[in-house]
Amino acid sequence: MEEIINVSGRSIPHVYPHLEVWGGPIALYLFFGGLAAGLLFFASFFYLKGKADSMPMTVKVAPIIAPIIIILGLMLLLYDLHHILYFWQLFLHFRIESPMSWGAWTLSVIMIPAILWPLSYLDDIIEYLKENKPNCKMIGLLNWANDLIKKLPVLPAIMDLFIKNRAMVAYVTIGLSIVLGVYTGILLSAFNARPLWNTAILGPLFLTSGVSTAAALLMWMSNDHKERTLYSKIDLMLIAIELFFIIHMFMGFLSSGVAQVEAAQLLLGGPFTVVFWVLVVGMGLVLPAILEIMELRGFHVPIAIPAFLILMGGLLFRFIMVYAGQASGFHIL
Amino acid sequence: MEDKSKKFMNPYLAGILIGVFMVAAYYFSGEGLGASGALKSVVVASVDAVNHDYASNASFFKARVGGEHSPAKTWLVFEVLGVIAGAIISAAFAGRLKIEIGKSPKITNKKRLIYALIGGILFGIGSQLGRGCTSGMVMSGMGVLSLSGFIGLIAIFGGGYMIAYFFRKIWI
Repeated sequence: MEEIINVSGRSIPHVYPHLEVWGGPIALYLFFGGLAAGLLFFASFFYLKGKADSMPMTVKVAPIIAPIIIILGLMLLLYDLHHILYFWQLFLHFRIESPMSWGAWTLSVIMIPAILWPLSYLDDIIEYLKENKPNCKMIGLLNWANDLIKKLPVLPAIMDLFIKNRAMVAYVTIGLSIVLGVYTGILLSAFNARPLWNTAILGPLFLTSGVSTAAALLMWMSNDHKERTLYSKIDLMLIAIELFFIIHMFMGFLSSGVAQVEAAQLLLGGPFTVVFWVLVVGMGLVLPAILEIMELRGFHVPIAIPAFLILMGGLLFRFIMVYAGQASGFHIL
Repeated sequence: MEDKSKKFMNPYLAGILIGVFMVAAYYFSGEGLGASGALKSVVVASVDAVNHDYASNASFFKARVGGEHSPAKTWLVFEVLGVIAGAIISAAFAGRLKIEIGKSPKITNKKRLIYALIGGILFGIGSQLGRGCTSGMVMSGMGVLSLSGFIGLIAIFGGGYMIAYFFRKIWI
């Protein structure tokens, strides 16, 4: 058993010397947040491009996943809170300089379109499932929900209003989904005591990664060849952007102060090197990119393989950033 | 879409290539090729992560945990990751990349998977008793003219031929 003696003037019993305060649930929450942001972004974007009928999976069916994973993510977040019963206090304040406040408000506002969007397409979702997956057990549940909504007093009126103004809602949702995607990174980068997190590039990097995982999921779920090819191309572009951001993140760290250089060393020779470069960059970005290029060139590649690799890579990336970030600090100075 | 080649590689050429890779593996890593060793490292690392106290005391695990690095940081783990990535790419090149369960048409997928799991468990136990599997003991061992490699070859393939008759229905 190795023992480490910490000598510190700080008295923060739950933080020091236990540096891992955030664990798996936070990483998973960030993954769900990014994925939901990506799904809503694509749904709104392609709706505005007039593709609602030619890309039914993207615009009509897949958005039903978004509210489900946002709720799952929020439950994970609540589970992580020390004072669970005080969570509502976040919604009594808005602090413009606090990313957590931005996140809490964005999540609550985006929940409105995230729930109403798939509800307004329930008829189409049921029809799509009946056509493509007639044995799906969800159909009964969705039928029941559809009937229930029509019987409720106020909801049908709200839905009518929503459907009439769908284009405007789509514009707002695009904005909100980008804020949500960036927030999953900015939440970490606001911690100035954690040099690995404290970089402005984390916001765009997490946004790109989240949108990329959403594109992978849509590519996997869609059964339309044109839609899949489109997402293959989008994903390739996003992977390239992600690699660009990752390289620049390291360039930024290595040309910065000693703490930042030490933080980067966690991923460049330190304990997180192998999982980051082999599993996230190698298996989660480069290998799926090779497979997608091969697919676009006419080789037959089951879409599930690159899609699964991208989703796993995105999930692992968040786990590594959450854990490695907490291992970085100024304590080494 | 043009039809990409669906041919398998010439088995003699593939055998020579494996030999070349074996030499390269000994040269670069100091170890041969292996498969069960990678799984063992992952299992040891998982047990260590879940229950460190148990792993540091149980006789099978304690020799492999507590080092400077994670028990999963071994050459074989990376070799197997490379094998998976390489297999996916080469199968895609040959136009044979698909997700399927290879079996006799007369049995169900469930039955095939249960048999595969049982077979895998038996082979895992055997490879630990014999200190290596087909790749780690037989091929790497024969590569350096180790007697255990030749005995392993006779035991694994001889045993396979003897037992195969009883389980032929899984395949035909």
